[in-house]
Amino acid sequence: MEPSYDREKVAAIHRHLHAHLPPEPALRVKAIESLLVEKGLVDPAALDAWIEAYTEEIGPKRGAMVVARSWVDAGFRARLLDDAAAAVAEMGFAGQASGHLKAVENTPARHNLVVCTLCSCYPFAILGMAPPWYKAAEYRARAVRDPRGVLAEFGVTLGPDVAVDVWDSTAELRYMVIPERPAGTEGLDEAALAALVTRNAMIGTDDLKGGA
Amino acid sequence: MDGVHDLGGREGFGPIDRAHEDAPYHTPEDARAYALSVSIRGERDYPIDWFRHVRESIDPVDYLTRPYFDQWLQTVLAMAVDAGDVALEEATGGARARTPRVPAPISAADVRAMLTTPVDFERPAPAPPAFAVGDRVRTAARGHPGHTRLPAYARGAVGAIVAHRGAHPVPDEGARGVHRAEALYTVAFARGDLFPEAAGSADRVHLDLWERYLERA
Repeated sequence: MEPSYDREKVAAIHRHLHAHLPPEPALRVKAIESLLVEKGLVDPAALDAWIEAYTEEIGPKRGAMVVARSWVDAGFRARLLDDAAAAVAEMGFAGQASGHLKAVENTPARHNLVVCTLCSCYPFAILGMAPPWYKAAEYRARAVRDPRGVLAEFGVTLGPDVAVDVWDSTAELRYMVIPERPAGTEGLDEAALAALVTRNAMIGTDDLKGGA
Repeated sequence: MDGVHDLGGREGFGPIDRAHEDAPYHTPEDARAYALSVSIRGERDYPIDWFRHVRESIDPVDYLTRPYFDQWLQTVLAMAVDAGDVALEEATGGARARTPRVPAPISAADVRAMLTTPVDFERPAPAPPAFAVGDRVRTAARGHPGHTRLPAYARGAVGAIVAHRGAHPVPDEGARGVHRAEALYTVAFARGDLFPEAAGSADRVHLDLWERYLERA
């Protein structure tokens, strides 16, 4: 059947579910999984496929390879900044939430920070599963209002001459930060450079300068 | 909807807890809840905006305290009950699950295809964009009781258009089951124009906003 699109109806359903499902998360998931499998709405093999994909294959290593290539290949960097969705597809990384990907570059004068204040939108295909703090109320509330305080907690201290550009993912666009290439890495090849790129640097909470 | 989900700029939240930040899944049940949620969403093709609105309709205390994917799972279960795919008595354990559906659920092969196929949200533009890059715009001063993607902290604020992103489905309509596309823009705001304590800061906050949220400033 079609959804009702009735908020009051679903709010009442939520209250029933809250009252009757086991409150403990592990037991709750088990109860719902049994029901959905029994109803034929999910295939256990599909569940394993989702979990394995984001355990092994899809994760921030992909984003790190994208960043490293942008550091060594000016043509790729230009394509990435112009159309990140196409540039990551070129590397074989097209996937969930990569269709409207935008890459934003840090410069000596600008530091970028990504958040989703309304839910927790994230470029799964490029960065994998979001860290718990990215989905937490503290980060969602504070990143737009006090980005410098948030960055300081992550060990990123910006001088007064560096401005912060915050990107709140309120539509289907997804953002990744291209951090500045660390000093002293001129001799490193692409693979060695990729090993330096952290997941947090691609969200904006790390600047690869050795902070916390 | 003036819900507790609309967290941007809310005060009183403390330090950020970085526990478990390097594991793909926080806990084993987190992984199961994620996989169940995306399987059901893939199977039933529920509109993304309706999914978001149903999550926003979770009890506010649960919204702020229950684990993230636990909320996704409660959301898809509530959607399945709402649409009649699961009876409420089955979901709450008061009745045995009835006859399984006949069509097969999504398979592992379907999952692999979904993992390599980005969704394209751009739609044919119903009208030329009303604003151009560089235009000053003011956001709507008030919200409405339904789903919207104009956060409360950015209401009634003046910013500048930095990009036109083509026409995308309007979330406020999608959450009501109406498919309507409209120009989407990236708008830059001075942080000091959003939050008084940041007056004079060179920091900016960018949001992706639909044309209906904006008027010429």
